[in-house]
Amino acid sequence: MPILKTENLTYTYAPATPFKHTAVNNISFSVEKGEITGIIGHTGSGKSTLLQLLNGLLKPTDGKVYFNGNDIWQDPKKIGLYRFKIGLVFQYPEYQLFEETVKEDIAYGPKNMKLSPEEIEQRVNEAVSIVGLKEHLLEKSPFDLSGGEKRRAAIAGIMAMKPEIIVFDEPTAGLDPIGRETVFEAIKKYRRDNDATIIIVSHSMEDMASICDKIIVLNDGNVVMHDSVAEVFKNADKLKKIGLNVPIVTDVLLTLKEMGADISVEHFTVRSAADFLISKIKGGAHLD
Amino acid sequence: MISDITFGQYFPSNSVIHRLDPRIKFLLLIFIIVFIFIGNMYGIGLSLLFSIVIMILSKIPLKVYLKNLKVILPIIIFTGLINMLYVKTGTILVDWWKITITVDGIYKAIFMAVRIALLIIISSTLTYTTTPNDLTDAIERLCKPLKFIGLGTVVHMLTMMMTIALRFIPTLIEETQKIMNAQKARGADIESGGLISRVKALVPILIPLIILSVRRAYDLAEAMECRCYNGGVGKQRMKQLHLRFSDFFALFVCLIWGGLIILIKIFLG
Amino acid sequence: MKTDKIIEIKNLCYEYTEDDEVPVLSDFNLSVKRGSFTVILGHNGSGKSTLAKLMNGLFKPSSGTVEIDGMLTSDDEYEIEIKRRVGLVFQNPDNQIISSIVEEDVAFGPENLGFAPDEIRKRVDAALKAVNMYEFRKSAPHNLSGGQKQRVAIAGILSMTPECIVLDEPTAMLDPQGRKEVLSALINLNKEKNITIVLITHFMEEAQFADRVLVMSNGRITGDGAPNEIFSQTDLLKEAGLSIPQTTELLSILKENGISVENGIISIDECAKEILKFLN
Repeated sequence: MPILKTENLTYTYAPATPFKHTAVNNISFSVEKGEITGIIGHTGSGKSTLLQLLNGLLKPTDGKVYFNGNDIWQDPKKIGLYRFKIGLVFQYPEYQLFEETVKEDIAYGPKNMKLSPEEIEQRVNEAVSIVGLKEHLLEKSPFDLSGGEKRRAAIAGIMAMKPEIIVFDEPTAGLDPIGRETVFEAIKKYRRDNDATIIIVSHSMEDMASICDKIIVLNDGNVVMHDSVAEVFKNADKLKKIGLNVPIVTDVLLTLKEMGADISVEHFTVRSAADFLISKIKGGAHLD
Repeated sequence: MISDITFGQYFPSNSVIHRLDPRIKFLLLIFIIVFIFIGNMYGIGLSLLFSIVIMILSKIPLKVYLKNLKVILPIIIFTGLINMLYVKTGTILVDWWKITITVDGIYKAIFMAVRIALLIIISSTLTYTTTPNDLTDAIERLCKPLKFIGLGTVVHMLTMMMTIALRFIPTLIEETQKIMNAQKARGADIESGGLISRVKALVPILIPLIILSVRRAYDLAEAMECRCYNGGVGKQRMKQLHLRFSDFFALFVCLIWGGLIILIKIFLG
Repeated sequence: MKTDKIIEIKNLCYEYTEDDEVPVLSDFNLSVKRGSFTVILGHNGSGKSTLAKLMNGLFKPSSGTVEIDGMLTSDDEYEIEIKRRVGLVFQNPDNQIISSIVEEDVAFGPENLGFAPDEIRKRVDAALKAVNMYEFRKSAPHNLSGGQKQRVAIAGILSMTPECIVLDEPTAMLDPQGRKEVLSALINLNKEKNITIVLITHFMEEAQFADRVLVMSNGRITGDGAPNEIFSQTDLLKEAGLSIPQTTELLSILKENGISVENGIISIDECAKEILKFLN
């Protein structure tokens, strides 16, 4: 049984007004436990609405979201429980940090879960170690942290609730390479330690190719593709038509092919493309 | 939803009312409100007619007006009821327990309700048909004489504040929504519980909002400085206002209407 | 006075507070040529934002000098003229648009400068057309996309007819589409209107359009050269905490493996062309 499943999921903003707008239109897909799924789509494709539907921040206009086979809106009073099970990390940590110290801020979610103080303490420490925040930062005000540290504190705030699924909205936007690496390591570690399922939204096709197992492509509120990284990025033309792209390195291979080179274009990371090109060039030289 | 409130919004169009000089529009708003209040029960009929004409001329969809009225409907009904129960003169229709309803009471209730509704319609017509900037501009220009008593900078500061406030209200609403979502995702419960727990639940929303706004104020000050802002000294305006025939005509029409209201009050009082 | 160098920074030191031991910028020298397109790369906290604010006198140097066309930013007399000549655009477009109507916002600068109403109108129209936002002149900023808002912010500077525009990570909060729009607007301003551009960014791909690339790390310039010179030195970029474009990375790996490609290339087409030489 998939851990998360949507069935004819639809969301319409301002229904019955002239401003009526269907952001998510009859979407059905499922996500298996332990997978890292990427969601890509240009701005306005319905990504952020979909994220909010997945963790119960928005109630679907139509259709269902199932978590472990249970309709999360079965009893609207219990929606809060599902929000703890399906964590959502927003793009800007500034929207959530508010406590006096970083530590208290990370503990905010677990406190809302009404856990015992010992349990909270333990979860906070665990989350802090996963995101790699230094001990001395914990007693600081969250507003004194650097951009990258704020991001990690916000992520820890969700991880401390130990959700079974975490949904990340642009987790690395605006971070430098070291910051980006740290965040991705934290995501992978959390998944390993907790056998968790991850959903990531990002504009960076390169990041998506390197971290995801599967990719969902959204366009105008519809799922137009849902497949493995390789299968999705094979469709460069289709992706470009809807304002998306393939990883830069794949684009280089595609350009080479257009220029007449007889090569495979199914390499989505620099490492794999480089290995392929090296063997191709050296192998070719060898044949001469 | 907060976004249902249309009061204070601007609806672009090219109607006669839209094209009026904002200064004239602002002065006429005050004039009309005063005369709606001066008018008596017969006068209100004329005012209603006058307002309907203004509504039609403004080319703003009736729905927009109605939506706005819906928001303040409770206030209108409440005022009507109070007046209905308060007036004891005239033919008694209902006399039950401590409640007496008379024909005069009903008239009075309708009169008061219509008066409030007209007030809302007229003042929203001003904001629907005038850009916030034109409005602040009009107020600044109308306040120009205050310069001579040394209040020039005060007027400029106030209008600058209004401009910025108007610019950032939509941004703030959007931001509040995002913060609420982020905290709800961490289990914040804003909708239920007693007064104290609700106030407490506001803290995680207010603090990020305040911090972000302070940050924004600081950024904005720098951006203004980069655009050669120096407190309005020697400032020019791109938009120049010139009174035109239509402005004088509007003034003339309003004066006639005001005169009729007075006449009705004197002869049909 | 117009000189060949629009911005001239000499022995500049700048510290945030007096008790800060290490200045954010120390013994900093830089000159920017009129009409050039300079990209400054640096990780978060490398001092590049501070540098931007020093370039138009928003910040004053603790010691050393910043000259704009021969005018010292520390000289109060030139305060306004310097800000007119060197416009500054910030990261968050929402925090720099003042008015709730696009054209009135763009008019803010020239209004402050006290131009005649007709002249302001001309400048506003020209500025909006230059960034391709004229059709949105009556719109409210909150209804625009990030890329559109940022172009309005650039128009707000353009209407003051600056010699130079310094942009502090103008694309950091935008989606790929918005980044493209802003970047092509900047290239256009540089090529068509000969406006000097100083673009501070951490998106490496944006450096390919520059005449000159500077790498900043811990308040110092650690690299200075043409894009291909800088991007052939992957170690330099890594040391500065910068990400390496996939094209550059691919070519470096090929080179390490004994394939003698040029490796300072950022653009996809040129990268493909370079590899093609070895495939045939």
